[in-house]
Amino acid sequence: MKALVLDDIARSFGGLPAVDGVSLTAPAGRITGLIGPNGAGKTTVVNMITGLLKVTRGRILVGDEDVTEADAPMLARAGVARTFQNIRLIGDASVLDNVVAGFHRHEKVGTLANLLGLPSAVRERRELENKASALLERFGMTGLAKHPAGSLSYGHQRRIEMMRALAMDPAVLLLDEPVAGMNDTEAHSLADIFRSVAQQGVAILLIEHNMRFVMSLCQHIYVLASGQLIAEGDPDAVGQNPKVIEAYLGA
Amino acid sequence: MLMQQLLNGIVVGSVYGLFALGFTLIFGVNHIMNMAHGTIFMWGAFAGLYAVTLFDVPFPVAVLIGALGGGLVSVILDWTAFRPLRKQGAPEFSSIVSSIGASLILLSLAQQLTATRVMRFPFDIFPIVAFNFFGLRIQLLQLVIIAIVVLMVVGLLYYLYRTSFGRQIRAVAVSEHTSKLLGINPTAINFQVFFISGALAGIAGVLIGIVFNSVHFMMGEPLLLRAFVVIILGGLGSIPGALIAGLLIGIIQTLTVAYLSAGLADALVFSTLFLVLLVRPTGLFGGASAVARVTRR
Amino acid sequence: MMSFFNSYTPLLELALFNALLAFSQYVVLRAGVFSLGTAAFAALGAYAAAIMVTKLGMPAWLGLIAAVGLGTVAGALVAVPLARLRGVFQALATLALVQIVLSITLNWVDVTEGALGINSIPKTIGLFGMFCAVAVVTYLMSAMGSTSIGRAFDIIREDETVAVSLGISVPKHHMIAFILSGAIAGLAGGLHAYTSYSITPNEYGFNMLVMVLAMVVLGGRVSVWGPIVGAVVLTALPELLRGLQEYRTVVQGALLMLSIIFLPRGVADTLIGTLRRRRITLASTKAKAVTI
Repeated sequence: MKALVLDDIARSFGGLPAVDGVSLTAPAGRITGLIGPNGAGKTTVVNMITGLLKVTRGRILVGDEDVTEADAPMLARAGVARTFQNIRLIGDASVLDNVVAGFHRHEKVGTLANLLGLPSAVRERRELENKASALLERFGMTGLAKHPAGSLSYGHQRRIEMMRALAMDPAVLLLDEPVAGMNDTEAHSLADIFRSVAQQGVAILLIEHNMRFVMSLCQHIYVLASGQLIAEGDPDAVGQNPKVIEAYLGA
Repeated sequence: MLMQQLLNGIVVGSVYGLFALGFTLIFGVNHIMNMAHGTIFMWGAFAGLYAVTLFDVPFPVAVLIGALGGGLVSVILDWTAFRPLRKQGAPEFSSIVSSIGASLILLSLAQQLTATRVMRFPFDIFPIVAFNFFGLRIQLLQLVIIAIVVLMVVGLLYYLYRTSFGRQIRAVAVSEHTSKLLGINPTAINFQVFFISGALAGIAGVLIGIVFNSVHFMMGEPLLLRAFVVIILGGLGSIPGALIAGLLIGIIQTLTVAYLSAGLADALVFSTLFLVLLVRPTGLFGGASAVARVTRR
Repeated sequence: MMSFFNSYTPLLELALFNALLAFSQYVVLRAGVFSLGTAAFAALGAYAAAIMVTKLGMPAWLGLIAAVGLGTVAGALVAVPLARLRGVFQALATLALVQIVLSITLNWVDVTEGALGINSIPKTIGLFGMFCAVAVVTYLMSAMGSTSIGRAFDIIREDETVAVSLGISVPKHHMIAFILSGAIAGLAGGLHAYTSYSITPNEYGFNMLVMVLAMVVLGGRVSVWGPIVGAVVLTALPELLRGLQEYRTVVQGALLMLSIIFLPRGVADTLIGTLRRRRITLASTKAKAVTI
C-alpha cells in the first residue's frame, strides 16, 4: 500500500513554465482526480511522474521512496503504471501479446534461458499468457484474444491499455484521459473496473478533461490551470468553486 | 610544399562542402538521409562531360548543364523514391532503404552507358594558367573553383534567408504540419529543395571531374562516404558546419595522402566519423544555425 | 539426385551463408536498432577464422570459436556507445565501422595479406555444416522471438515510450541485439572462410551491406521466416537473371525500392499477417454459425 506524493514539482520548457509548483497526494486505495482545461499541464505532470520528463524543481515520492531522479524503466519497476492519452498499442500484435507485455517487470527467467528456449522460459511464457487470459476474461474480451490490437474499436483498445497497465500489478496507476472518445455506457463499465482496482489498494490518479466523469468517481479532486493548482477538495466543493468555473468557461 | 598541399586541400574541401551542403539541406528539410546523393553527383558530372564532348560547350556552360542534370535527376528521385513513402508517413528507415535502391539503379545505368570506362574532360576545357604567389603556385582553375563555391553558398544563404521561398522552406523544415496550415504547398517546396540539392551536387561533380581529370560511374561513392563524415562533423542540417567540416576533411585527406598513405587516409577519415559520433553526435558546430535545430526533433 | 546436389552445392552454400548474414541484420532491425554493421562483423569473423588456420596452425573448430568470439566482442563494444544514438546516427556509425574494418583488412598487409586476401584456406566445412549452423541460429532466433526478449524487441521497435513505461530497458536490449548480430555475423564469416578457400577484403564492403539489408527488408523483420525468405530470393535472383547479367543491379535496386514502398513489412510478415486475419474471420464466422 503506497501513496503517490508530489511535492512542489515544476517543469519549464525553454524558460516558459509548463507546470509550476504542483503538490498533491494520491492515497492508496483511492481514486484521486486531476482535472483542468486543455493546455493546463496535465500531461506534463504525468510525464514527470513516469520519468519521461525530468522535473526542474520539487520531489516525487512513491510510498516512502524518493523517485524524483529515477528514469522511466526504474519507475515502472517501482510499480508506477500508466495509460496513454493517445492510445499506444502494438497494432500488429495480438491482444493477448499486448497484455502479456505488461508483465515485463515480473519476468524472472534470465536472458540466456530465454535465448536458448529452455523449459523455464517456455513455462514462464505459458504462465504469463494464463494470467493475461484471466485479465481478458475480467474485461470481457476473451473472444478477441487472437485479434490484432490495431483492428479493434476505440473502446476495446482503451481496455487493452488498461489491462496492460494492470498486468504490471502497479502500486500507483496513472490514467491519462482513459474515457476520451467513449460513450457513457462504455465509460461507466470502465468506472466500475477503476473502483475495483482501487479497492485492491492501488493509488489511482485519474487525469481527465471530462469533469462529469471525474465528479462521479473521485473522492478528492485537484484542479490545474496554466500549470498551477487553483483548487482542491471534494467534488461538490470543487464544482462550486468560482475559480474553477472561471478557468473552464474562460479557457 | 606544406602550403601547396594545404591549398590543394582547401580546393578539394570546398567542393566536398558544396556536395555535403545539398545532402544536409534535404536532411534538414525532409529528414531524409539521401543515400543516392553520390549517384546524383556522378550524373551531374556525366551531364557536364557529355555536353562538352558532344556539343563542345565551354566550361561555364558545362558547369551549368551539370547543375541542371543533377537537379533533374534529384527531382526524379524525389518523385519515385521518396514521395510515395511521404504519403504513407513511413519511418526514416524506409527512405534510407528506398534511396539505396535508387542509387543501385542510377549506378548500374551509368555503368551500362559508359561500359565501365573512365572518361576525361578534354585537355583544353580550362586554360592552364598559374600564378606564383610567394613561392606558392596557384592555378586559375583553383581560384575559379573557390569562387564558384563561394558564389553558390552565398546564393543559397540569400535564397534561404532573404526570399519568401526560403522562408517557406525553413517553415517546412521546422514543421511540415504547421506550414501546411499556413498555406504553404509542400510539393513546391520539395521540388525546390531537391532541385537545389541536386544542382549543387551536379556542380560539384563537374568540378571534381575536371580537378581529378576523371569521370566514371563509381566516382560518387567515396564522395558520399566523405559527405557523411562532413555532415556529422559539421552537425547534420547545419550549413556553415558543412562548409567548415568540408574544408577540414579536404585538408586532412590531402595531407594524409601526401605525407602518409592513401590507405591510411580512409581509415583516418572514418575513424574520425566514428569518434565524433561517440563523443559529440551533434557535431562540432551543431546548433550553430537555425537549420541545425531541425535535426533534434 | 546426387549430381543435382553436386552442381548446386556452391549455390546452396551461398544461400545458407546469406541466410546467416540476414539473421545478423534481422536481429538488430527487429530490436529497432538501425545497425549496418553486419558486413564488418562478418569480415572480422572471416579473417579471425582464416588467420587461425593458415597462420597459427590451429584446428578449424578453434578458428570458428575465435570467429564467433571476435564478432561477439565487436558487437558488445559497439553497442555501449551506440545505444544512446538515434537511428540515423547508428546507421552512419556502423557504416563507418564497415569502412574502418575494410581499411584495416586492406592495409594491414602483414596479417591480412592486403587486397589479395588470404588464399588456400583448407575447405573444412561442407554443405551439411552450413546447414547445421543455419538450423541452430534459426532455432535460437525463434526461441528468442517467442519469449521475453523478442517481445521486448518488438515493443522497443514499435514504440520506445511504451517500452520504457513498461519497465523495459532499451540499452540492455540494444546490447543484446548488437551482441547477437556480431556473434551470428562472426559465425557466418568464419564458415565462409572455411567453405570458399579464400577471402578478400572487398567481399565484405558496401555491396554486402546493401545485399544483406535488402534480404531483410524484402523478407521481413519480425518473423524468423523473413531473413530466410529474403536470403533465398536474393541468392536465387542472379541465377534466374543470368540472361540479363547487365541488369542484375538494376533489378536488385528496383526490388529494394518496390518492396519498401509497396510491402514495407516484407514478404513473410505480410503473408503471415494476412493468413492470421483470414483464420480469425473464418473462426468468428464459424462461431456465429454455431450460435445461430
